[in-house]
Amino acid sequence: MSNDALLSVKDLHTHFELRRGVFGRAGFVRAVDGVSFELHRGEAIAVVGESGCGKSTLARTILGLYRPTKGQVLFEGRPLDGDLRWYRRQIGYVQQDPYGALPPFMDVHRILMEPLVINGFQGDRERRIREVLEEVKLTPVEDFLYKFPHQLSGGQQQRLVIARAMILRPKFLVADEPVSMLDASVRVEILELLRGLQRSHNLSVIYITHDLSTVRYFAERIFVMYAGKLIEKAPVQKLLQEPRHPYTQALLAAIPDPDPANAQTFKKIPPGEPPSLVNPPSGCRFHPRCPAFIAGLCDKEAPPEFEPSAGHFVECWLYR
Amino acid sequence: MREKAEVQSRASVGVGAAPPLLRVEDLRLYFRTTQGVVQAVDNISFVLERNQALAILGESGCGKTSLARAILRLLPRNVHTYSGRVELDGVDVMPWSEERFRKEVRWTKISMVAQAAMNSLNPVLRVGDQIAEPLMIHQGMDKQSAWARAREAIQLVGVPVDFLQRYPFELSGGMRQRAVIAMALVTNPDLIILDEPTSALDVLTQANIMNVLKQIKRELHKSYILITHDIATSSELADHVAIMYAGQIVEWGTAEQFYPNPLHPYSQKLMASVPRLREERALDFIPGRPPSLINPPQGCRFAERCPSKFFQCEQEPPMIEVRGGRLVKCWLYR
Repeated sequence: MSNDALLSVKDLHTHFELRRGVFGRAGFVRAVDGVSFELHRGEAIAVVGESGCGKSTLARTILGLYRPTKGQVLFEGRPLDGDLRWYRRQIGYVQQDPYGALPPFMDVHRILMEPLVINGFQGDRERRIREVLEEVKLTPVEDFLYKFPHQLSGGQQQRLVIARAMILRPKFLVADEPVSMLDASVRVEILELLRGLQRSHNLSVIYITHDLSTVRYFAERIFVMYAGKLIEKAPVQKLLQEPRHPYTQALLAAIPDPDPANAQTFKKIPPGEPPSLVNPPSGCRFHPRCPAFIAGLCDKEAPPEFEPSAGHFVECWLYR
Repeated sequence: MREKAEVQSRASVGVGAAPPLLRVEDLRLYFRTTQGVVQAVDNISFVLERNQALAILGESGCGKTSLARAILRLLPRNVHTYSGRVELDGVDVMPWSEERFRKEVRWTKISMVAQAAMNSLNPVLRVGDQIAEPLMIHQGMDKQSAWARAREAIQLVGVPVDFLQRYPFELSGGMRQRAVIAMALVTNPDLIILDEPTSALDVLTQANIMNVLKQIKRELHKSYILITHDIATSSELADHVAIMYAGQIVEWGTAEQFYPNPLHPYSQKLMASVPRLREERALDFIPGRPPSLINPPQGCRFAERCPSKFFQCEQEPPMIEVRGGRLVKCWLYR
């Protein structure tokens, strides 16, 4: 595509082997099963899906924490293999549970100093720590420098995790459910902070979430993931206003806005639960639950990617 | 709609009518800690009618779970103060002994789906044994009839009967949450307290559980107290809404009144922080943090974060009744 792609993901597969006994193979968990996309400079993408759909595995494969079984991740055209230290310096990772992500016995100063030391940051380290604390608005800096994680509120802890992710001035951030553990009012603060950082530093961000309602405040494009595949990819407005895949449609219909009328109606929910990633259904993986299921097609052959309108991609036979 | 709601809330003030299912008056629950006394539930009063759902909304640490525990008398050891009235069908049960309360109230009249209960199922017991257990403990039923009732309860929540024979790890999150709801239903209580019943679940599972709860309310005429921080989801079930802040209820009204038009500045801010799927609107957040419940501020507890603060806020506002029987603890409405 265009040459401003920061990250290209090509036909990525991450499978985990299930073993039985010492030599026996019981099969594979196909957590990521054929994912391709490009992330541009300064762009934020949200990957939305239910638990167990493979979205965190996708994030961790992109971070270089898992080796893909097949396919490739290229960062600025350079493939991820062998020693990844050059890559880790350019990426930041914001975890889901801020308290779990922070070492309880280190104070703020030490938590932020570690990455600088490990990566041999040349320059004024103290100044960099102050800068980054100001960027995430943990101010006045003096009040926070020598605090321990348990002395911070949930929102402040998440700011610290973001500060740590930002301290080496990365080009690219992966945020895995960064606000799901926080209260509603704090959630907005953190999303605004991330959005602000993304814009001021021209960061590329992959935002992993199960919460479609926060996505529009954050991302330019949404990818919907189901059973290891990205079944729909579209700009935010297009996806919210005109969802194409029956799964996306069901997902959107299930999310309430605060409205007293909700109490009067029942929601239509596709029957069943997301499939096992060990033996996913044949053909389209959503077909056993799909209201628009076409017999003889959807259960036989996996749908390729169709483009019903420019920039809107969907893996569904309805758009053939 | 609105008129009907007014009549309902008037009726709940209850002059001469049959006593409400639950009336809580001046309920207080304070805890002793090394830092001082935590005023987790401070002077809370409300009324809940039969076949109604009350949503208690608030952020973490506002005391909403403590309120549930105070109603069900599930108290830790460090209780400092536990006082007020809890009336069930017009009878104050506060003076009752623990033994009598356990037999006649807990799980008999009021049951609870505790927060993250689906993760607290006993991993080595079959689901059916766990659903049947309250019947054997609270009502002294024998195992066979308890299992028969468990079979009924599990079907009510839309789980196939053979799941009773399985162990918790064999069930998905949604199925386990349903099993926990079945456990709360099995003794046929009038009131079920639901503490964050869907917050750890996926969107579709969440919607599914809400459907189940609505169905049960409609068909079995149960009442709910729904405790949650998730305002959007609460609207799936609520007839009335109470907003809690720093141990106190600061606003009370019907769902029709509250969701489109919250009154208390805190409720308004909270509502503005809810992301919308179907509406383009800027999000807002509440600067600062809730006050400590050890030494809460003298006046209005929200004053220091309130955009509309004025001189009178240094005194504690009373609950003020505004149009349509709504209650709001804010001087702006005096």
